[in-house]
Amino acid sequence: MKKNEPQGMSAAPARFKVGDRVQVKNMPNMFYTRTQNYVRGAVGTIAALTYQDLIPEDEAFNYDGRLEQYYIVRFRQKDLWEEYPFENDTLQTESPDRWLEPVNH
Amino acid sequence: MNTAHKHTGDGHEHKAAPMVEEITDYEVLEIAVRELAIEHGLFTAEDHRRFTEWAESVGPAAGSRLVAKAWTDPAFKARLLEDGTKACKEIGIDWAEPTGFGTPSDYTNFRVLEDTPTLHHVIVCTLCSCYPRPLLGMSPEWYRSTNYRRRLVRWPRQVLAEFGLVLPPEVEIRIEDSNQKCRFMVLPVRPEGTQNWTEEQLAAIVTRDCMIGVALPRPGRTADVHPIHKARRPVQSSPQHGRAAE
Repeated sequence: MKKNEPQGMSAAPARFKVGDRVQVKNMPNMFYTRTQNYVRGAVGTIAALTYQDLIPEDEAFNYDGRLEQYYIVRFRQKDLWEEYPFENDTLQTESPDRWLEPVNH
Repeated sequence: MNTAHKHTGDGHEHKAAPMVEEITDYEVLEIAVRELAIEHGLFTAEDHRRFTEWAESVGPAAGSRLVAKAWTDPAFKARLLEDGTKACKEIGIDWAEPTGFGTPSDYTNFRVLEDTPTLHHVIVCTLCSCYPRPLLGMSPEWYRSTNYRRRLVRWPRQVLAEFGLVLPPEVEIRIEDSNQKCRFMVLPVRPEGTQNWTEEQLAAIVTRDCMIGVALPRPGRTADVHPIHKARRPVQSSPQHGRAAE
């Protein structure tokens, strides 16, 4: 989706596609983030590519950094919470490219 | 802290003190920024009042119509799932309105989550209160509460059960945490017993809670009603009161 894209800025190419396994990085919180603690370090699957936009860590301070691809990432509840008792339940949340790294298994 | 309520010695003294409403730092910040913006002529106090009243007047009716249309028109449903923002225009909802960039913080990336007999979606914003306001209006108070936000991601089945929705373990519950710029709404499964219903009849059973995912639509359920506990000692009606009302 291009409708939110600030004019005249180019985006870094998307590194992931639907179905790719990714791990959420555990980077330090510098002033502002929208990446929740409960997904840090967790492994999930790319469920959708959504749009390209500034990252919240820049945008919160009105800094025009580069645009990044955003993804909806799907996790198994069992992978997020210890002793989660229901096998099938899942959770989806959104993440910009830089918070994700590839998982090769 | 209320320091006016003092218990001194044997006597129980109550000193009169002005009532002060609790206000958060963020509310103070909002007032400060708003007053600065008005002072600098970015908008007027009248603009602000009109916009606030407009935002508060938006209800969930548009969302109900959207679901009813998707249930009765498979081609529309396909377009809705493909590009939610674009499909909304077909029912007269433009996410960019009224500012050109949407209602504040709603953005224009709207995605519909389609339930199936084996998959049930429920939405939350663990960060704060992201909600598809152009379609559903302002979110209910509980949706913004820290309790709903922290517990739904950790104990979804227990939270749903508190809303009266108990789902079998074989149904996958999928929590959608709208923590960035997408906004989500649930498209529930069309319930049994609604064959040949008109869009209008269908829309009546698609309540706000069904589109958040904490309730399921069914014939006869047309409001998100929580049980009302009657007073044990109700107000006594008297003949005078009865006549005065006539």
